[in-house]
Amino acid sequence: MIRARFSRTAAVGVTLALGLSLAACGGGGSSSGGDGEFHVLVYGDATNKVEKRIVETFNKTSKVKAVLDTVPGADYQKKLQTVISTPKAPDVFFNWGGGSIQPFVKSNLLLPLDDLIAKNPELKSNFLPSVFNTAEVDGKAYGVPMRGTQPVLLFSNKKVLADAGATTPKTWDELLDAVKKIKAKGVTPIALGGADQWPTLMWFEYLYDRVAGPDLFKNALAGDKAAWESAESRKALAMIKELVDAGAFGTNYDSVKYTDNGSPALLSTGKAGFELMGSWAYSTQQELNPDFAAKDLGYTGFPTVEGGKGDPADIVGNTNNFYSVLKKTKHADAIGEFLKLMYSDEFVKAQLAIGNLPTTTNTAKFLDASDNPDYLKYQFDLVDKATSFQLSWNQAYPPAADAPMMQAIQQFFNGSMDADAFIKAMQALSAK
Amino acid sequence: MVALTTPVKSEGQRQRPRADRGPSGHTVARPGIGWALPAALFFTLFAIVPLVLVAVLSFASWNGLEAPRFAGLDNWTGLLHDPVMIKSLWLSVLLTGLGVVTQTPLSILLGVWAAGRQRNRAVLSAIFFVPLLLSATAISVLWRALLDPNFGVPAQARWLFGDGNLLGSRTGAISVLVLVATWQFTPFHALIYQGAARAVPEVLYQAAAIDGAGRVRRFFHITLPQLRNSIITSVILMVVGGLTTFDTVLILTQGGPGTDTSISAYYMYQKAFREFDFGQGSAIALLLVVVATVISLIVVRISGYDKMAGTKEGM
Repeated sequence: MIRARFSRTAAVGVTLALGLSLAACGGGGSSSGGDGEFHVLVYGDATNKVEKRIVETFNKTSKVKAVLDTVPGADYQKKLQTVISTPKAPDVFFNWGGGSIQPFVKSNLLLPLDDLIAKNPELKSNFLPSVFNTAEVDGKAYGVPMRGTQPVLLFSNKKVLADAGATTPKTWDELLDAVKKIKAKGVTPIALGGADQWPTLMWFEYLYDRVAGPDLFKNALAGDKAAWESAESRKALAMIKELVDAGAFGTNYDSVKYTDNGSPALLSTGKAGFELMGSWAYSTQQELNPDFAAKDLGYTGFPTVEGGKGDPADIVGNTNNFYSVLKKTKHADAIGEFLKLMYSDEFVKAQLAIGNLPTTTNTAKFLDASDNPDYLKYQFDLVDKATSFQLSWNQAYPPAADAPMMQAIQQFFNGSMDADAFIKAMQALSAK
Repeated sequence: MVALTTPVKSEGQRQRPRADRGPSGHTVARPGIGWALPAALFFTLFAIVPLVLVAVLSFASWNGLEAPRFAGLDNWTGLLHDPVMIKSLWLSVLLTGLGVVTQTPLSILLGVWAAGRQRNRAVLSAIFFVPLLLSATAISVLWRALLDPNFGVPAQARWLFGDGNLLGSRTGAISVLVLVATWQFTPFHALIYQGAARAVPEVLYQAAAIDGAGRVRRFFHITLPQLRNSIITSVILMVVGGLTTFDTVLILTQGGPGTDTSISAYYMYQKAFREFDFGQGSAIALLLVVVATVISLIVVRISGYDKMAGTKEGM
């Protein structure tokens, strides 16, 4: 087949047409052409105040100035994809590591950080390895952690558990037992925001890890399609099915969202006993239901599965967010200096102050002074001791796989797709 | 173009080809083509040019990062073999059809009722038309909260909604989309019918009343036939609007559960802006343009709308 190249102008034209405002009115001066400054593009949310502060600190001493540009969260990935190959691209940008930067690496847009790390080994050694590794592609480092880690934990309403005579489950069988007891009380055992789809995914991530160990997914991601067909894969699926069929999630979970506070409200009002959720659920509850968070909110790791290969210490979730650097930047050395601030004491303290848990080696010494020392220490130990910290599947795969994967997850979970169809759907995902 | 500014003077000098005989026999000068220039310019810039670019892109593979590559018919054969694509077309047609079926009778009744000049009707109509003023995003967020199975209306009316799994089941999700669209768009179509019903000559009703026709007969034998043109206009608007429904799906269901409400317009968005496969997205977009055009043409043909020359409603 003849593969001709379309002109760049046509490409830009189509960007304008398709992306409408995304491309057209994107970020005013977000151009790296300026002398003596580089642009940092971040996901717009409450954490931006820390990023602003760090940029100010950097600009006090540096000759080359950093300029912070924020994009509202929901549009971030779309905006990034649209500008990154244009002259308006930033020099440094926020990402989730893994699959989120893989297409950029393949298009040869990103700067491997190995040279910067060779000059200053602390850029790597000052971070927890299970987190730092997430932003490595083909053995090269492409990102430096820049926010907090978010492992997935099993949250519970202690009062509901006590009323039903259930205990915090350490094993899968204990979880099934607790589900049975809570259900007998007429309460939905586990809250699930199935309409968001990614909360459902968390159950798959943990069960696959506990049953088959972290390698099954790693192999599948590397292109080994047979992994999805293995006996262990089928066993994990059967266990999910068992839990759903036992009524653990009730029947209307696919109409409930986490993002509009639907499922957190179930947990806090005692209409559900458990919720499997990222560590951010703690601050969500603190904000929405401070009394509940202080008195009855319990948290623990995912139960172990007897006979499973996965280490009970393994965790899944969002390892951290990362700063990656574009190859075309003119200020690589200044950016190297900027990235050093991501393990500074000031950075760690500022992140802890807003409830984020940084993954630097110096984090531990500041935990005592934080607002929720017990919770943060629990998490930090969990991440520090984890033999495997699996990045959420939808972020480990490139963006192209996101929608088809989520649809398959939801359909298997609610029974509209059987195990064979699910395996086929996962095999059809493009890992490239 | 000079003639544009002096249409009255030119009347006596020559019979201009664009002149038309009005019903009263006077010669009516139609505006020159120059008047269409600004609109044509904008239409070309914002409709034709993007359409052409999308057509070009539908034969290319492009992830937005590297230059697009020519991919021949790959995107199109891909669509044919994509079960979700075929399902999405069917869902689009289903939702559109359900929309027409629910909204047309409601908006005709509401419009004809609102055409009456009583004060209470004017007040109530103003209230009915409120959804028209709200953005689709606001409407979707509102309905999403109203229909929450644990804390919304379904939790209070278990006898009607059962477990309240409205957005989590196929039938439920489709019903919700149809309901919200009805709530959202009926006022607009009612407005069309209100205007049309007011244009029906009063003499027709007076004549029918003399012949002894009751309220119902007058509605079916005078009002409805007189509204024919408006019905066609409104149905075409519903069809085109239905096929391109997007915002409510994005916020209410995100195409779910699974792919059960992934209508073509949403699937196009998913391909282009979640999977960054702009080639496939463009192919779906173009397919939608073709389907919508064909359906509109069929409606126009069947209804005989294209052969109507008169400018008066229904005459």
